[in-house]
Amino acid sequence: MIPEDLQYTKDHEWVRREGDTVRVGVTDYAQDALGDIVFVTLPDTGTQVTAGETCGEIESTKSVSELYAPVTGTVVERNDALDAAPELVNSDPYGDGWMMTIRVGDGADNGGDGALLDAATYQASLDG
Amino acid sequence: MTDPSALRQSPLHERHLALGAKMADFGGWQMPIEYPGGGVVKEHTAVREAVGVFDVSHLGKAVVRGPGAAAYVNEAFTNDLGRITHGQAQYTLCCDDATGGVVDDLIAYLVSPDEVFLIPNAANTAEVVRRLAAAAPAGLEVRDLHDQHGVIAVQGPRSDETLDALGLPTGHSYMSFRAVDWRGQEVVVCRTGYTGERGYELVPRWDDTVALWDAVLEAGEPFGIRPAGLGARDTLRTEMGYPLHGQDLSLDITPVQARCGWAVGWKKPAFWGRAALLAEKEAGPARLSWGLEGLERAIPRAHMTVTTDSGAPAGEVTSGTFSPTRKLGIALALLDPSVTAGDEVLVDVRGRPARFRVVKPPFVTPSTSAS
Repeated sequence: MIPEDLQYTKDHEWVRREGDTVRVGVTDYAQDALGDIVFVTLPDTGTQVTAGETCGEIESTKSVSELYAPVTGTVVERNDALDAAPELVNSDPYGDGWMMTIRVGDGADNGGDGALLDAATYQASLDG
Repeated sequence: MTDPSALRQSPLHERHLALGAKMADFGGWQMPIEYPGGGVVKEHTAVREAVGVFDVSHLGKAVVRGPGAAAYVNEAFTNDLGRITHGQAQYTLCCDDATGGVVDDLIAYLVSPDEVFLIPNAANTAEVVRRLAAAAPAGLEVRDLHDQHGVIAVQGPRSDETLDALGLPTGHSYMSFRAVDWRGQEVVVCRTGYTGERGYELVPRWDDTVALWDAVLEAGEPFGIRPAGLGARDTLRTEMGYPLHGQDLSLDITPVQARCGWAVGWKKPAFWGRAALLAEKEAGPARLSWGLEGLERAIPRAHMTVTTDSGAPAGEVTSGTFSPTRKLGIALALLDPSVTAGDEVLVDVRGRPARFRVVKPPFVTPSTSAS
């Protein structure tokens, strides 16, 4: 089930708008494809990130996958709980397994936003 | 990516699909990597703490039969069949005669002086059979039985209770086997495995494999059995430091380098690769297998470069994974002879140097002893 109230990227991340920040995580499809997640490397708070560029790593027993910034802005929170309990990404990808919040940049910097997908479009991309 | 339709399938293929397993190419076979509701870590833990069941039907099966079959195998493979008696199995190596490189590592079951049953790796079975057949004296038959038998591994501290509940034999000594009639079907039950835990490998006929798999899962339920995929099999064997052919052993890696000298009958007058391996042993290997354990959060993977703490080249990772038991990155690596236990080395993890300690495997103490 894909939550209706979120936006998505083609890299299987989700974005929740919370005022002038967005909360970011990976989708249920992504956690299932990765398998047991054992390390999550997140950017420090204050890091400037650019939409579509790498800002961290998600590593499972089998493989490593990059975390991309879905929007351009400044990291204001990172989910420190994932340092000790990365399995939260598997058990609750849309809740306690969130990765970070980003304060969205102004004007033209807000580049990636146009590339975000709504739930129906993301679902269709998985079905396709 | 190989076309899945070109891959061979286990007799349990439909069972894996029904369970919803993630399937992948392994040695030319389409095999389960992990199961829903499980995953590598849960399946791994079930084997360390209770019992897990693996479909390893992709493993090869072959037989050498005829007068003097065991004597012939003993002149070909490295280990000394004279160390065991009929009803026992032995880990051995098929080496290239010229280089001493490892064609395959395999289990030889000594049935009688005139019959040896072999379990090679899936991808190497045809080559092992080809080499054995090419050199066999007249009167000996070498047959590839790859699709004549399934192989089911029941591994973990509660594997005895699981087999007891089925009426299969248990408690025979490590590396020994019993051929039994089970519900009208012939099954070989061997005290072997690739996990480090106490356990058994069951070899039924191909067509009987589904019934045995179903029975094992049902009998093991009170003991917490889980179907376990090849993902968990890899983390379990890496924690024990057991080599995987194609990574830690290969035509380019000798048993001396891989510390498999214990599986070489050095005093035997003949085995393939003897001259090359004796010379290497005498001169000292150019590189040697070690374990690496993480001093920081990083997972080493095969082919990553290893350097000394001052940055000098030291070797390469051959297998690496996350240890579910230790909760850190572990690896097997071929390292320069100057490196020794206790040294700190750096592994290049995607451009970032990560610190590891050189150790002698195993990385864990199993909850039950395999032997």
